[in-house]
Amino acid sequence: MRNATNDTQKLQNELLDLVAEEAMVDRATLKAEAQLEDLDIASADFVMILMAIEEKYDVYISVDNELSDLKTVQDLLDLAAKKISEPEAE
Amino acid sequence: MSNTRVVITGVGAFSACGAGAETLWQAVRDGVTGMKPKSFERLPDQKVMHAAPISNEMLQEHAVHVRPRMQDRVTKFALIAAEEAMTQSGLKDAGLGDDVGVIVGSGFGGAEALDEGYWAHYHSGGGRMDPLSIPKIMTNAAASWISMTYGATGPIYCNSTACSSASQSIGLAYQMVKAGMMRACITGGTEACVVAGVFRAWEVLRVLSPTLCRPFSRDRNGMLLGEGAGILVIETLESATARGANILGEIVGYGTTSDAGDLLRPDPAGAAASMNKAIKDAGIDPAQIGYVNAHGTATVANDVSETEAMRRVFGNDFEATAVSSTKPVHGHALGAAGALEAVVSIAALREQLAPPNINFSEEDPKVGFVPVTGTARPISTSYSLSNSFAFGGINASLIFGHPPA
Repeated sequence: MRNATNDTQKLQNELLDLVAEEAMVDRATLKAEAQLEDLDIASADFVMILMAIEEKYDVYISVDNELSDLKTVQDLLDLAAKKISEPEAE
Repeated sequence: MSNTRVVITGVGAFSACGAGAETLWQAVRDGVTGMKPKSFERLPDQKVMHAAPISNEMLQEHAVHVRPRMQDRVTKFALIAAEEAMTQSGLKDAGLGDDVGVIVGSGFGGAEALDEGYWAHYHSGGGRMDPLSIPKIMTNAAASWISMTYGATGPIYCNSTACSSASQSIGLAYQMVKAGMMRACITGGTEACVVAGVFRAWEVLRVLSPTLCRPFSRDRNGMLLGEGAGILVIETLESATARGANILGEIVGYGTTSDAGDLLRPDPAGAAASMNKAIKDAGIDPAQIGYVNAHGTATVANDVSETEAMRRVFGNDFEATAVSSTKPVHGHALGAAGALEAVVSIAALREQLAPPNINFSEEDPKVGFVPVTGTARPISTSYSLSNSFAFGGINASLIFGHPPA
């Protein structure tokens, strides 16, 4: 259980680093409850973030309703973690 | 504009569904997809493992007017479709001159020649580039080969506006014929984009579905990349009648607009204005249109925007209008899309059947409507409308009617 929690924390930290770099925002502003819109993270940034996720985790995420509904940094982290962990369903 | 009527006397199509306009129609009518597994040796990082491609075997089987070493696949596709349309119209036996033009669009032009050339040159330590790369790659190559093949010495254009290339080409051809600038025109679009480099470029834009293309469905997650060519022979009613040609249908309206907003995000106002212009040009009421072949890419953004646009145009009649995207069958053929879908829209009108929007699984509350699902739906209508929208904020809408009585 502890390991799972540590893994989740590690993944979230990695993802925050990745989002900060790809969306070119200050890492310190990426609070869980922060609104992506307020951080000026827009669709073009998503394309870059998803590219980096593919390179780092070897998972392809296309733009779907779940992705376009994201509001906060935590939403983004949760969805990315879910997509990275689940095999692509047909 | 003049009262000249513009009719269609020949149609041709080549796509992942096979060769022939009738083959394409049967595939969309029956919901039989051309989607196949597709992997590229040059893409070790490829993630989306399917497309709606035209195989080399299929191309070799149907290729016509081949000039070895001179033509990319994009030209070969166009010539196959053009030969079908020209044979059907009888125009090629009637003698062509400078009153017959060619307007054939393409988004990427000779994508394979480009990919092969760059691969050979950069990847293989400065290997030889094909000295005929330029004449193969240039986007107007297909249009020029068509004009040379049939001796059409009138106006020639290659409209390259991404996914609206073909619809705008047909629209422009219609306007020029209507305005008396041409008697007839060979028009449409061609695309040969299921090529490693282009495929990867679409993949990394995150708009290709890793699973199934599901237009308008809540679980849609992107498009199916297709390719091919669609060609129409259009001419004045006077010309067709004088030749005793068999008239397949009429182009009654065309509208095109630019969002002048965002490069990638569509604006329903622009799409609605495009449809409204076409409807005004046709001089009909929206309620008279019984079938809409939607752009329906199955990207999240397009399907929401297009539905909102259709709702604005059709108002209370929207629920009664049969709408489907046939892209899950033939794939999104980019610069050829509008031409393949014109062929489908003309056939739908003739057969009075709205083909199904396959792979639809559930209504999306953000879209709020259900297209024609399951099997083809009988319709009773005099008009069909086909939409094409492109990155760059370009909208194009064509309206087709029955052959004039």
